[in-house]
Amino acid sequence: MEIPIQLKQIAAFTKRDFFSWTTYKTAMTTQLINILIGVFSWGVAASYVQKPVAEMYNSDYVSFLVVGIAIGNLVMPLVQGVERQLNPWTLETVLMTGISIPVFVIGNIAWNYIFSVLTFIPYLLIGTSVFGARLDVNIPSTILAFTISAAIMMSMAFISTGLRIVTKSTDPITWAINILQNLFAGVAFPVVYLDTIFFQGASNLSWFLPQTWVYHLSRLAMLTNASLTDPKVLLEFLKGGLFAIILLPIGYRVLRWGVARSKKEGTLGWY
Amino acid sequence: MKSGLAISINLMDCFASACGGMVSQWYSSTMNAKYAIETIGLTKKYPTRRDDSGGLYGRHSSTDSFVAIFDVLRNRKRSYIEALRGIDLQIRKGEIFGLLGPNGAGKTTLIKILCTLVIHDEGEAYVNGFDVKKEPGNVVKHLQAVLPESRGFNWRLTGKQNLQFYSLLYGIPEKAARERVNYLLELTGLKDRANDGYQQYSTGMQRKLLLCRALLRNTPVLLFDEPTAGLDPTAAAEFRSLVRDKLARQEGTTVMLSTHNLNEAQDICDRIAILDRGKIIACDTPGKIQYAVHDEKVFSIAFADGRFDEERGRQMLNALEAIQGVHGATPDVDTARNLRGLSLRVDKDTDLSDILSVIMKNDLKISSINTTEPSLEEAFMAITRRRGE
Repeated sequence: MEIPIQLKQIAAFTKRDFFSWTTYKTAMTTQLINILIGVFSWGVAASYVQKPVAEMYNSDYVSFLVVGIAIGNLVMPLVQGVERQLNPWTLETVLMTGISIPVFVIGNIAWNYIFSVLTFIPYLLIGTSVFGARLDVNIPSTILAFTISAAIMMSMAFISTGLRIVTKSTDPITWAINILQNLFAGVAFPVVYLDTIFFQGASNLSWFLPQTWVYHLSRLAMLTNASLTDPKVLLEFLKGGLFAIILLPIGYRVLRWGVARSKKEGTLGWY
Repeated sequence: MKSGLAISINLMDCFASACGGMVSQWYSSTMNAKYAIETIGLTKKYPTRRDDSGGLYGRHSSTDSFVAIFDVLRNRKRSYIEALRGIDLQIRKGEIFGLLGPNGAGKTTLIKILCTLVIHDEGEAYVNGFDVKKEPGNVVKHLQAVLPESRGFNWRLTGKQNLQFYSLLYGIPEKAARERVNYLLELTGLKDRANDGYQQYSTGMQRKLLLCRALLRNTPVLLFDEPTAGLDPTAAAEFRSLVRDKLARQEGTTVMLSTHNLNEAQDICDRIAILDRGKIIACDTPGKIQYAVHDEKVFSIAFADGRFDEERGRQMLNALEAIQGVHGATPDVDTARNLRGLSLRVDKDTDLSDILSVIMKNDLKISSINTTEPSLEEAFMAITRRRGE
């Protein structure tokens, strides 16, 4: 029996897209790793649900998760904002206006961040009213946590942009950090739980990830009413702040390096 | 026209007051600069990577970011393409300067270096006296460029909203920006479509909006990379008229443009440079470039009465060829042996009255005279071909 032409045409599209996909070797590898890490991290999270909670924040799991998701929704657009806006036409033209590179990056993030702040509130309202999440918010600590988080994520955006300008594709460093976040940054379970499922001291690794501090400080401020007058709380905020202070100049330098490198290679207009 | 100039002056005033001392520093640099654009021994090499078979597959593979980033970090040894090889140029203020050359000659690279979008390897480049490598901030304040691939417009916003966005980036005060945007939309004939989404614009309208953006700040130097590519003949003629009559002649703007359209270059450029494989191989006025290869023109004379004695004809041809500057005379004889006309190859500066007096002595009635000069296209083809051999 003759195969209908329509089926052959659909097969032609599929074949074309498969061959195209295989040419993006990095994307192919990262997609496969994403699947593995994704399955693993949600598996760990699911097993955590069965455990007694309150190890780090003296709170219940639903509250912990609601705040985590809300924070994730708030900070991730900071990195994604630049990625969406970054194309050669915009970059070349905007740089020719004489504006500074950080202004270009922050300018491209601003609306995403404002929009995320607006959507952050419904997340919390639904979480508290529908799912019974209990928040115990300390306003000054929350504001400081958001400021430190924004600085950390801004640094990440600088690094991501700087590398993307050079590689013209997903930058491997930001990808690695983002993928590790699912497992180690404590989005869906407290990082101390890593000691239980891996080995004693495994959670220490997570403190080297910038996102861990973003989630940790926000949860301290929003779940435990952590006051900045408490020396223990203050120390946590100082550690997070130190992370931001170290990362910001590094991010700025990576961004400047990326633009300079791209101008040197004549590839600023490529992507 | 007058209102446009007034707006331009206001904008400069606003900018001057906003930037204070910095502007006076500009002005002094600008006034001291001898040329609007100057390059000295400008060299640019682009890195390439070779595949296993030795064939080039682009300056950078963009599909494999791991490979790309590790190459960069390891500073792996690469081969290079020489895009520019020692470019020396001096472009005077208010001049319209054309860059001609085959594809890949280095025209866009040169323009992008002047725009600070590409960093050169060796040599120097100045815009209004500012070093493009050391003072890129000052350079971009003095220059605007219209690059064919650089749109940078938001497709969902209207043409007017897009221009207002760039006005803000340039730091133009709101009122002045509004007036300037309206003036430019009027000037380019986009006023009626100003509130339409950019995505609804035709290619010609998109080009006009690019021009509007380039003129927002009224910078003293404008660079265009193939400005009329994709424009219909009327729009292209309007563009040329705007550049020559208004921007260059009336406002004194220095214009550098790269083009493949030789008629366009001949029509509006004060001087042109022909680039080939990263080198300037000719640089002069279009008139002189025309004669750079063939230093002669063809002088054609048609006769009303063709009856003519063969022996006298031979003597006349000998007399014509004896005139200084005449390199050859070819008679146009019909089947009845009548002399219909003459074609003479003569030096471009030959005094034609000597030729005419020889013809008059032979009692020939002249019905028409034509002079055919070598075209810029012929010169361009000959110069670039000669380099290729």
